Amino acid sequence: MNTYTEALGLVLQADVIIAILCSAVYGMIVGALPGLTATMATALLVPVTFYLSPIAAIAAIITSSAMAIFAGDIPGALLRIPGTPASAAYTDEAYAYTRKGQPEMALGIGLWFSALGGIIGTFALMIVAPQLAEFALSFSTFEYFWLAFLGLMCATLVARSSPVKAIASMLLGLLVACVGIENPAGTPRFTFGSTDLLGGIEALPVLVGVFAVSEVMRAMVTAEPPRLASRRFGSILKGQLELTRKFVKLQVRGNLIGIAIGALPGAGADIAAWVSYSVSKRFSKTPEKFGTGHPEGLVESGASNNAALAAGWVPALLFGIPGDTITAIAIGVLYMKGLNPGPTLFTERASSMYALYYIFILANLLMIPLGILMIRMCSKILSAPRSAIMSMIILMCAVGAFATGNNLFAVVLVAVFGVIGFVMERNGYPVAAMVLGIVMGTMVEQNFVTSLIKSDGSIWPFFSRPVASLLAAMTIAAVLWPVFAWLLRLRRRLQTHAG
Amino acid sequence: MQLSDRITGLFVAVLGAAAAYGGSKLPPVPGQQVGPNVFPMVVGTGLLFCGALIALGVGRRFEEEAEAELVAHSDPNALAAETPPSGWIYSLRVLIPPALLLFYVYAVDFLGFLITGVTIVAAAALALGARWWFALSFGLFTTALIHLAFAKMLRVPLPFGLLQFPW
Repeated sequence: MNTYTEALGLVLQADVIIAILCSAVYGMIVGALPGLTATMATALLVPVTFYLSPIAAIAAIITSSAMAIFAGDIPGALLRIPGTPASAAYTDEAYAYTRKGQPEMALGIGLWFSALGGIIGTFALMIVAPQLAEFALSFSTFEYFWLAFLGLMCATLVARSSPVKAIASMLLGLLVACVGIENPAGTPRFTFGSTDLLGGIEALPVLVGVFAVSEVMRAMVTAEPPRLASRRFGSILKGQLELTRKFVKLQVRGNLIGIAIGALPGAGADIAAWVSYSVSKRFSKTPEKFGTGHPEGLVESGASNNAALAAGWVPALLFGIPGDTITAIAIGVLYMKGLNPGPTLFTERASSMYALYYIFILANLLMIPLGILMIRMCSKILSAPRSAIMSMIILMCAVGAFATGNNLFAVVLVAVFGVIGFVMERNGYPVAAMVLGIVMGTMVEQNFVTSLIKSDGSIWPFFSRPVASLLAAMTIAAVLWPVFAWLLRLRRRLQTHAG
Repeated sequence: MQLSDRITGLFVAVLGAAAAYGGSKLPPVPGQQVGPNVFPMVVGTGLLFCGALIALGVGRRFEEEAEAELVAHSDPNALAAETPPSGWIYSLRVLIPPALLLFYVYAVDFLGFLITGVTIVAAAALALGARWWFALSFGLFTTALIHLAFAKMLRVPLPFGLLQFPW
């Protein structure tokens, strides 16, 4: 019990509370602006977290990402432009409500069930993580290698693109992670004589490049999204309690799917929303009503994406393996602040862990009043001209990248990865898979090479330990899944031809 | 920049082959079978294999399905806005943001943060269709704001250069 009060003391510091409030407003605004994702909000926040205390830094990341995921629903519902990819799955449904003249219903569902989902996801994190931590203490490099590899494969499976291109993106990320002297022998690798490359390519400039700069580049060649007419909203939370009572089963199912997908290394909130929406449609008694302004899909996917956000911290905290791109950034911040991820985090720094839970719950509670305020003010915020937002972002990218190490080379990297991200996106190569490859590259290599040295070059021990063999089987299944799906389709096509 | 799968696949394959070759040239750790060379070779071989598959068009159908689903879920007008006006000179505009970042890298130490910042914000705003008076005043405002936040509050050493802020 002592740890709980100690943790509460950590959270109730003035700097932590200010960080939560400021990052909440920041996350809401960035998430609500179309095209600016929750990942981008988090990436641009990292340079600021350098200068905060550890708990305040983590609080800023957690709060801004949770707010941004919800706020992405606002332009989705009002303009049919999803603010973040996590809202894309149900944008149509939410917009159908607006067409019926009930935007407050769609936004209310998004807000209420997001907050509930976030809180339930946090409880899952509180229950599951310590249990798994005990189990994870017995992991050796073989298990860590498979776990990291499984995370990378999951990231390619959920990419909503060609699996081959997703795997290629992931390998590209691993290749980028090879650059530098941080390798088993400490020899300069792929540095081409540049001293700037000796330290390797950091994940942060890459993230800022592929998520922020490439978005500004896209804005250069696309038309400005339509302005939002200012409108008055009715009561936003009216009828939500009734919906909660009516759709309790859907909400729980959404939470569970979100938690499961979030806890899976490599898969995050966006995919949780897509899966939940389609599950909801498949098991609904009235699937024909979907897409016409029907609450079921909204309830389930809204409950799912915020639950996934919290559960994504499970693999991040336990193994240092990101659940999605947001936790990939968070892991970097954890290391920087001396809260190195790993099972021992739960025994040695227990109070910090509990503080993290409190912050999650606080952020989700704060989401309701702040979300209502944001919805009421959104016509003002969304009418900010794109030329102002994008030009501000480009300067923030430069200063933010520079601030990470007071090094101008980071700004060059931001520009280079902006171009790479833009070209990859245009040609169907998922950038998130590359980012996860870069973040996890060193870890994968370290565990791979250490395991190989331990086994004297033999690959048999990779499969002989019980947990390692289970993880290996899951990974291989993930690799072979696209092949299996293709064979299944081929068979069906042949059957229809024969028929 | 939309390229055919054949070109991007080929590029990926060549990159993979180069990585595998470059990796194999790295010196091993004395007395060990594995060293810094193993991982680039594994990754490079994987890239070579994936690149070949992409060039041959394997997996294209998955992409088409995902695209079709996305189209079904979003506004046709919004998607129409995604397709840029034709003309390669127009499409060169995408290079403005990275070019501005490189301008920052090479100019900031000499010109200082004030001039460089205002130039970047104003140029980007003008490129996105703002009026020049808005671009300039907004540039000044944003640069001052960012300078206050990063240089004053977070103590990031942003260079002074030719012209500096009064604070």
